Amino acid sequence: MVIDLQRCVGCGSCSISCRNENNVSEGAYWSHKITETSGTFPNVRYHYIPTLCNHCTDAPCVRGCPTRAMHKLDNGITMHDPDKCIGCRYCMINCPYGVIYFNWKDAHPSWKETNPVIQGVTSSPAEEVRKVGGKGIPYYNPERDATLPGIRPKGVVEKCTFCDHRVNEGKLPRCVEACPADARIFGDLDDSKSQVNQLLGKFRPFRLKEAMGTEPAVFYIRDFSAAGYPRTKGGI
Amino acid sequence: MKKQLIWICLLCIGILIGLWTTFRVYSVGFTLYAKTDVLVWTLPLSTYIFFSLTSAGLAFVSSIPVVFGIKRYEAIEKRTVYLEIAVLVGSFVCLILHLGSPLKIIYILLSPNPSSPLWWLAVLYVAYLVLLLSAFWRIHTGNISKTLGVLIFLIAIFTSTTLGWLLGMTDARPALNASFFSFYFPLTGFASGMAALILFSLVYAQFSGQEITEDKSALYNELGRIMGVVAGMVLILFLWRTISGGISSTAVEYGAFKHMIGSIPYNIEFWLGLVAPTALMLIPTIRATMWGKVSASLLLLVGMFAGRLEFVLSGVVRPLGQMAEGRPEIVSYMPTVYEIFVALFGFSLMLLIYTIGERYLKLETASE
Repeated sequence: MVIDLQRCVGCGSCSISCRNENNVSEGAYWSHKITETSGTFPNVRYHYIPTLCNHCTDAPCVRGCPTRAMHKLDNGITMHDPDKCIGCRYCMINCPYGVIYFNWKDAHPSWKETNPVIQGVTSSPAEEVRKVGGKGIPYYNPERDATLPGIRPKGVVEKCTFCDHRVNEGKLPRCVEACPADARIFGDLDDSKSQVNQLLGKFRPFRLKEAMGTEPAVFYIRDFSAAGYPRTKGGI
Repeated sequence: MKKQLIWICLLCIGILIGLWTTFRVYSVGFTLYAKTDVLVWTLPLSTYIFFSLTSAGLAFVSSIPVVFGIKRYEAIEKRTVYLEIAVLVGSFVCLILHLGSPLKIIYILLSPNPSSPLWWLAVLYVAYLVLLLSAFWRIHTGNISKTLGVLIFLIAIFTSTTLGWLLGMTDARPALNASFFSFYFPLTGFASGMAALILFSLVYAQFSGQEITEDKSALYNELGRIMGVVAGMVLILFLWRTISGGISSTAVEYGAFKHMIGSIPYNIEFWLGLVAPTALMLIPTIRATMWGKVSASLLLLVGMFAGRLEFVLSGVVRPLGQMAEGRPEIVSYMPTVYEIFVALFGFSLMLLIYTIGERYLKLETASE
């Protein structure tokens, strides 16, 4: 995946759509961001980097998993099998990017509430779920069940799968499709003619914590800055 | 007899609290622990490391007569092996209560990953327990085999060094990352193993009214001296770790360890666990007294317990990557009552197993 930081406006559509697509519980972020500020007031700037699992070629989470619950698929996706996960969280210790989450409790606890939000006016969250026939949440996406339990149980870890269930059907990951600025480009890194490879050859890409040698498969290109400054000779 | 009954009742209460904690943790969830997505390893895991390394240290002591041929240590061999089993069971309890889905542990066999140090550790522990049980049975029936003793010695080296490998592999967390720990762990384990043996033997003798023979007294004095020397060696390594990782390193990843240097567990480990026992055991007049040895052993064990927590927290209190979003640079930690109950469960079960052994299995006797 290539993320074009010049196009990314930081709207968070990727995170919201990911949450809906993968029935991600509150507290977990398969798709997230890193924000930073640089400079000293009043000369400050805000940076925004969207983040997700980097699907590293040499993934430390895969290497360390004692049961192969965390494993690589043939297409390079780093996948997780909750049925084999013993919940040791060694993958979380090993991941330098902080993209793996542990389910400390049952998913979507707020949708299990049986008390109406406003007594006599609204229905309870649990009733809402029942009304629409959802499975734990009213917006449950059954397509997620294709390769992974739609909602993962407590006591195991979970993370971004590059929407493998969609990729298997020739579709784009949901975050790529939902991006209103078309800032995410998804493709085959092994195909030299793919658009991702064209972009990687055209710009100067960077990856997060490259020095760790994990070979992340998420690349970032360009940066956005509307700033300019007057030309001087050495600032004099 | 009455004192022993009260003691056993207290331990049973500890175990009942532990069982209730187990039920609560697996029904409500791990939110009962002071864990967040950042603090993924805390007191239950550090208690497991404490027990596990103490057990390995005891294995080194129990191997002395078989592996190194120093026959006078045969007098304490049976008690040491039994204590190893009790401590190892305590470690398993804490490990299980650390795991999110312990019932799936069968996948360690069904879906093995030999590139994982955790997989090797699991395999080694199963072998370790089986060997220990066999060794104890052989000693109990009067014929310890040399092969078994050597195997236990080797497996104790492998488990403690594999634990160092497990943490040394974590490139993402340099405060945990050092092949140094593959040496540091067995050495600290040896210190805590000796401390546990001295403490349990002398306290039991005191409370049961048993007289300690002159030979045994000389042996415990010798153990006390070795413990003091080993604690001193650990102290020097500990200081080097502090200097290299905590003072001279400029890498931001060491921020967590730098933070831990001023912490309570760090200071307990340093002052109570290393400085005090070293000083006490290197003064001959104190070393010669029973209470000198008991105090030094107890302090060393308290220090090691705090040290394992300090070590685990050094790796996790600083959030990484996107986990740092919206969080402070260092996340603070205070164990919850449930985490303390997990440690209590491990200690209670270990002590109960040991007490039963002292009562019924004649741990004083030496193998023939």
